[in-house]
Amino acid sequence: MQPQDGVTVAEHPEALELRAESVGERWHSGAAGVSVRRMERIGITALVPPEVVYACGCSALDLNNLVPESRLVPGDKLCAWSAVWRELVLRREVEIDGLVVVAGGDCYTSLVDAQRIELAGVRAHHFIYPFSGDRRFMREQVEALAEFLGEPEEGVMDEVAELKAMAMQVHRMRARGEVGSEQGFRIEVSASDLMGSPERYREALAALEEAEVSWEHRIALLGVPPIYSDFHALLQEMGMQVVFDEMPYEFIRHTGRSMAEVARSYAGYTFALHIRRRLEFLRKQLRRHRVEAAVHFHQYACHHRLEDPLLRGLCEELGIPYLSVEADLPGRTPEQVRLRLEAFAERLSEGWA
Amino acid sequence: MIVGIDVGSRTAKAAYLEDGEYSFEVVGSAEWRSLLRGRRRAEAATGYFRKHVPAELRVTEITTAVHGARRLLGEEVEVIVDIGGQDTKVIDVRGNGFRMNDKCSAGTGAFLELIEFGVEVEELGELHRRASRAPEINSTCSVFAQSEVVSRLVEGYSVEEVVRGVHLAFARRIAQMVPEGAERVAAIGGAAKNRGVVEALEEVLGAEVLVPEEPQVVNAVGAVEYYLRRKGGC
Repeated sequence: MQPQDGVTVAEHPEALELRAESVGERWHSGAAGVSVRRMERIGITALVPPEVVYACGCSALDLNNLVPESRLVPGDKLCAWSAVWRELVLRREVEIDGLVVVAGGDCYTSLVDAQRIELAGVRAHHFIYPFSGDRRFMREQVEALAEFLGEPEEGVMDEVAELKAMAMQVHRMRARGEVGSEQGFRIEVSASDLMGSPERYREALAALEEAEVSWEHRIALLGVPPIYSDFHALLQEMGMQVVFDEMPYEFIRHTGRSMAEVARSYAGYTFALHIRRRLEFLRKQLRRHRVEAAVHFHQYACHHRLEDPLLRGLCEELGIPYLSVEADLPGRTPEQVRLRLEAFAERLSEGWA
Repeated sequence: MIVGIDVGSRTAKAAYLEDGEYSFEVVGSAEWRSLLRGRRRAEAATGYFRKHVPAELRVTEITTAVHGARRLLGEEVEVIVDIGGQDTKVIDVRGNGFRMNDKCSAGTGAFLELIEFGVEVEELGELHRRASRAPEINSTCSVFAQSEVVSRLVEGYSVEEVVRGVHLAFARRIAQMVPEGAERVAAIGGAAKNRGVVEALEEVLGAEVLVPEEPQVVNAVGAVEYYLRRKGGC
């Protein structure tokens, strides 16, 4: 996928506005009449290394990032995350040139929903995480991903790694209260696809304003990111600053400046590993971030719900109050969930025992 | 006088504290304004619609349940089961946590309303006691349970036996949320007026279930108690 005679033109329109050409139409006429190539837009789910996607000359679109703001109600669903992005793609409300779906280390609903997209004519690749954390297997997967996407240029990986280091800096600022919960979360969660281009992500980082955030409690958000678009803002309003966002933290902590480094780092993606490894990791992080309380966010019909007692047990062991929140469709946080959060904040402030 | 108002999905309740004595009033949710008795605002508001009530402070019904139950039943309460019209909350006072069932009407007051033959709540306890056996009601969905109830009646179970079966199914549903080993469990909310439900809970939990004289107004009392605590009045 090296540019030929023409100029490589990166398109950066807003996600839902883009109407890309169909698969295979990589070449079209530029403004000056020269033959130019547009970046292929690759839809990704869960954690697919954006280092590799951009190094191969493509642009990444994390389909999950479109879900919280969507008001689409899918008719045929288990988990709303994958059902909503499936419908967005099938109804061509968002257009992608290819799809990379995580087939191991994620969930079967996204795997099936991605296959429905694939059968509708979108070329797809299955990216598989090793349950054992085997780095050699991970290396093979990263190489297979590159083969699907094109020829990687390692210089691009340096840029992505540098951006992730900056995002990690934002994470630390959020933990110190120099960045709000909501803004910090946006930066961390957007590291999965770099907002469609490294340039745009760099701009978002540069635009981030330091603030003096007042809070009463340091909170960890465990599990999948909230499907409610106002969740972090709401927590902040209630005096709870999220200092550790489990899944978005995975997005920023894994990176690499070469295929080998990427493979080594992503082999430690905790959601794909045995739950024992994830619990060990969380034990360290909850202590390191001096977390006072934890909220476990999970989805209706999601297998992660079954991890709830294990996470609760970990928090009990660490003496950290724990709240479990189950969600279904995207939108604003429903009143019943707000009630839980408010009561949790009251309990943290006063205690009942 | 200190006024605490609890506006829930079915009823609105008020607790009035005057000269150290509590008095209460219960009206339909839509009539909550009458509970102010001409005052501009209450001291404290709680319940699902607390944000609509003019009040000096607002607090969730989870926190008020703790304060109210302690005031009415003593400090030793370990777990509170608050059976509301549209949700059920189990508050682990000892463990400082809570769980809620709010996605499905099974295990809430709405479940009982749907199924229990339109009999007055006080009579249900009597029916429950008269039954010497109870059919299994397995459906976890209120709507399906309703048809299961009809099936049991057709099979030849008496109304008393089916009522007992419904109470046990209800109690089993709630028991899933109660922490193990709890000994001093309090039941509050309108459904706790049904002695059949309380006895079924005792049977399923294997623990004594305490019920205050007026289980419906515990959160309104809790709102007053919370207010006093915040204002340093006691």
